[in-house]
Amino acid sequence: MRSPSPADEPAAAMLEGLSGTNLGRVRLQEVCAAYAPMLEEIAKLRTLDLADVHPAVIFEPTAAYRRPR
Amino acid sequence: MSDSALHWASMGHLLRSLDRGELSSLELTRHLLQRIATHDGALQSFIHVAEDAEAQARASDRRRRRNGAARRPLEGIPVALKDNYLTAGMPTTAGTQAEGISFPREDSACAERLRAAGCVLIGKTRTHEFAWGTVTPPVANPWKLDCIPGGSSGGSGAAVAAGLVPMGMGSDTGGSIRIPASFCGVVGLKPTFGRISRHGIVPHSWSLDHPGPLTRTVADAALVMNVLAGYDARDPACQAQPVPDHGRALGRGVRGLRIGVIDNHFMDRNDPEVQAAIDERLRELAAQGALVSRASMPVLDYGLAAIYAIELASSGAYHDRWIAEGRSRQYDPDVRALVEMGRLVSAVDYLKAEQVRAVMAEDFRRLFDSVDVVVTPTEPLTAWERGTVSVAVNGQPESVLAASWRLTYPFNLTGLPAISVPCGFDRRGLPIGLQIAGRPFDEPTVLRAAAAVERTVQLDRRPALFA
Repeated sequence: MRSPSPADEPAAAMLEGLSGTNLGRVRLQEVCAAYAPMLEEIAKLRTLDLADVHPAVIFEPTAAYRRPR
Repeated sequence: MSDSALHWASMGHLLRSLDRGELSSLELTRHLLQRIATHDGALQSFIHVAEDAEAQARASDRRRRRNGAARRPLEGIPVALKDNYLTAGMPTTAGTQAEGISFPREDSACAERLRAAGCVLIGKTRTHEFAWGTVTPPVANPWKLDCIPGGSSGGSGAAVAAGLVPMGMGSDTGGSIRIPASFCGVVGLKPTFGRISRHGIVPHSWSLDHPGPLTRTVADAALVMNVLAGYDARDPACQAQPVPDHGRALGRGVRGLRIGVIDNHFMDRNDPEVQAAIDERLRELAAQGALVSRASMPVLDYGLAAIYAIELASSGAYHDRWIAEGRSRQYDPDVRALVEMGRLVSAVDYLKAEQVRAVMAEDFRRLFDSVDVVVTPTEPLTAWERGTVSVAVNGQPESVLAASWRLTYPFNLTGLPAISVPCGFDRRGLPIGLQIAGRPFDEPTVLRAAAAVERTVQLDRRPALFA
């Protein structure tokens, strides 16, 4: 993988800010490279119109009251 | 019972021998400890052997003498737990050697229940680090030592297959019980999400993690389910559903059972030997009176995307504090990358993954209107050599992670019960697994179908190195 160039600085800073990691820019680049094939797969989700589908994870306000105290 | 019969015996058989006084738990435990001492150097399936295993066995023998016929359900049976289950008497590492990460010495819900059922907790089996992978180094496959056992519950799969213990607990986030079960030639059951408490299991992905047993027989899986299933308020996902006798239908056969086969995703990209074995088993089940129908499910095209988004984001959240502290630098490189990339999954992608999951759950519900179980291969191919990073399935390259969980993760996304049962061997002598999934909380029907496959194939081969 190539090293970050000065021209990449704003983009790298933005990525660090967006992701909230403290990995450092070099490591973040390595992680991005490892993530790339998975992101390609995940990007398929963006082609779907699922506005009418409730996500599978459902908030349940009574859950806290079932736990042992 | 001969020494050989002892370590290959099913839990049911061992219980009958213990009941008849032909065997004590101490004799059985000592025999298995000797097996572990002799064979586990080559296999590396255990990370810890309980110092008090013999003391536990003596206590069990005393209880049995005191209680007689009113014995506990698994009194005197030695079992192992994957190293991500907390245990009071043994350390838990979750497979990591990273400094500054430790886990409490207290029993997980499963350890509590197994102890209460009379089991001897003989040791902890190796897991892929943090259960995030399907290789489980350095564990070897008992059928071919240079092959992987699968993972992440590879230690339990290898130990059960090599006759070191009759049951090992596993956990399954994308296939981690069923993958090693398939590669090692044992039975692995991932029950319905919420059927068994996850309390005290080191989390990987909260909405995908399932505890379950790896055993040598389907009947043994049912025995274990009878003691592990049930409500536990300490696990927010655990459900207060009635607990059936999981062994009640094992002998019923498959006459009239409606089997669904999903042609896309599950049957269209498998090794020819694996596909031939599954097709043959389906023909045999049909000959026994099962009603086999074909279906397709287009949403499965988005399954890998969904599980990547959910699993990466969830494990990233769990490991966030250790990443921030720099401890993830000590993880194995594959696991380090997987947890560190969790923050790269956008919230919108994560939620779309949860929406796809809802669509998939609904599509399976609709399919289960017309079938009782779904049959698939567990794995698209048999175990591969250690160090492999990419495999060819029908000539198409695929990463080992993507290939190994392709056929198992749909049942983590949907939370449906699914079992892997051995159904043959390839030409290299490596086991092939058949997967059966069912409706939520219908483990008895899944076990019934698996028992029929087990009776049909009558596999009595043992790994030659561990005979």
